[in-house]
Amino acid sequence: MTHLLEEASHLLHQEGWFLDNRLWDDWLTLYTDDCIYWAPAMVGDENWTDNPDNDVSLIYMDRPGLEARIFRIEGEDSYASHPLPHTSHLVTNILVQGQTEDNVDVSATWLVHSYSRVHGRLIRGGLYRYAIRKTSLGLKIREKKIFVHDDKIVGPIDIYNI
Amino acid sequence: MLDIANTNRKPLAMGKPFTPRRQSAQSFLEDFPEKNIFRVKRKAFTDPDVYQDEISQIFERCWLYLCHDSQVADHGDYISTKMGTHSVFVMRGRDETINCFYDSCPHRGSKLTSRVSGNAKTITCRYHGWCFNADGDCTLVRGGDDAYRQSDLDRIGTDLRPIPKFGSYRGFLFGSLDPEAPALEDYIGGAAPFIDLVADQGPDGLEVLRGESRYIMEANWKLQTENSTDGYHVATVHRNFATTVGYRETLRPDTGDALSKTEASRILSLEKIGSGGYDVGNGHMINWADRGNPEAGPLWSQRGSLLERFSSGKVKWMLERGRTVTLFPNLLINDVASTCIRVWRPLTPNLTEIETWCIAPKGEQPEERRARIRKYEDFFLPSSLAVPDDVRAMEGAHIGSEAHDGGWNDLALGAKTLVDGADDAARELDISPVNSNPGREVETPFFAFWREWAERVFG
Repeated sequence: MTHLLEEASHLLHQEGWFLDNRLWDDWLTLYTDDCIYWAPAMVGDENWTDNPDNDVSLIYMDRPGLEARIFRIEGEDSYASHPLPHTSHLVTNILVQGQTEDNVDVSATWLVHSYSRVHGRLIRGGLYRYAIRKTSLGLKIREKKIFVHDDKIVGPIDIYNI
Repeated sequence: MLDIANTNRKPLAMGKPFTPRRQSAQSFLEDFPEKNIFRVKRKAFTDPDVYQDEISQIFERCWLYLCHDSQVADHGDYISTKMGTHSVFVMRGRDETINCFYDSCPHRGSKLTSRVSGNAKTITCRYHGWCFNADGDCTLVRGGDDAYRQSDLDRIGTDLRPIPKFGSYRGFLFGSLDPEAPALEDYIGGAAPFIDLVADQGPDGLEVLRGESRYIMEANWKLQTENSTDGYHVATVHRNFATTVGYRETLRPDTGDALSKTEASRILSLEKIGSGGYDVGNGHMINWADRGNPEAGPLWSQRGSLLERFSSGKVKWMLERGRTVTLFPNLLINDVASTCIRVWRPLTPNLTEIETWCIAPKGEQPEERRARIRKYEDFFLPSSLAVPDDVRAMEGAHIGSEAHDGGWNDLALGAKTLVDGADDAARELDISPVNSNPGREVETPFFAFWREWAERVFG
């Protein structure tokens, strides 16, 4: 368990590091080809949507969707994404919630501090839930679910700031 | 049968009386048709006195969109929102009755709902414990029997106060704080056929899907009103959206499934498609463009049954033309690649809260529902590939308008092609707009908004 927790923690911390340093291609290598990146939307004050086929999510993407987001950011043609804010991911309270022979269920808590000249300092927070696959190349993210706790958000929500 | 109540009790007009600040409309709007001049002073976006008058004269008088009736489907369902400075909530009572009440206890004014939406058969004031049923009747004045004279309770009025005007148009619920407001149908007026184009899409009606989004724009609310009907920014601000989803399509295996296709071509191929803008009266604006590939729309499979129910001209409008319908002052009903309701409320002159929902025909096929949702997420959310760019563009426009004498926005784009009355496309829908313009890249529909705005703020 300790070894697995260390390995999972390394993966999550690496993800934050890659995003904060805009190492997009390195970031993508952390995900499996059949990955899902999912930020549910809120329902009222207490709940988040749980059926992406019938409910709205803030983001629900497959790997081509992630690659397109990177394309959009790197293209420098998106008014909202250029210049990018400087971000700092704090990923903590990492717990292994369960595992099978091939998969690990990991939870974590996050805060992202971001700074841009346009919006100044923004801090958002929430929870992560990862479905991680054990592969021959190490742990890879099969599904990442991001609960964004902040309602009434200033500025865009994108892969680099949640 | 839906019965909109709010008629059984005397409404309380709580808005303060209008005390004009006597700024002249011409300081902010130059509207001289004989000289072909229409321009708006940029200070209209930033002036604090103008803002105060907008709150009292527009947001506390006009019909405002509150929510859709599918969001209050059951007894006790409520949605809490704001109209100008007033907190209000829409609630489904017993039977089918829906009311809209001031969200303020008759006793000492406390806000009654503690959630943005919920279900409660009884609303209990958290401060002193007065209780109300879902029809607004006071059911308990705690300790009242011993301490209140009946004559005092009668004078205070213990039931919830309905807002002065409340009504439904095709399931879209609106309210007004002005007891003298015109009938809702008259207010919606020329925009009604365009709401019908959405409302008629499901034989069983529409539903707002689960999953909410609220976000803050650091810009004046009127920039969102303009942006919602601005066809001119699409090819610049959303060029990036088109290339991004186009790129994404190349990464996915081609399943041949039309639903999975995007409509990005519409954004990049302006010269090839029909498009236009209308002033439909009362400050309401329409902007439309032919869909690049209408078969990619989630409603396309229903074409046969729609043709049985409606004229071919109307079905063409439903399926083959993307439409943005902007109702004065702050509602957008958007039916393009997906379907969106957006509402924006001013918080200060330079801060606006925006809410957005996806609306869809009840009972649509799962694969169509899924496609509609994915396309909604692609475009209409602050986490999408498009809205963040819009917001940034509006924030940029606001910053550029903040100068003490920031000059004028001269809205002359499209003036060359503006015609009075209907064009061919309008005749296909059998409507009579105030004026028409055969192009999406026009600013002339804005005239409708700004004239209504000046009339209400300075009238």
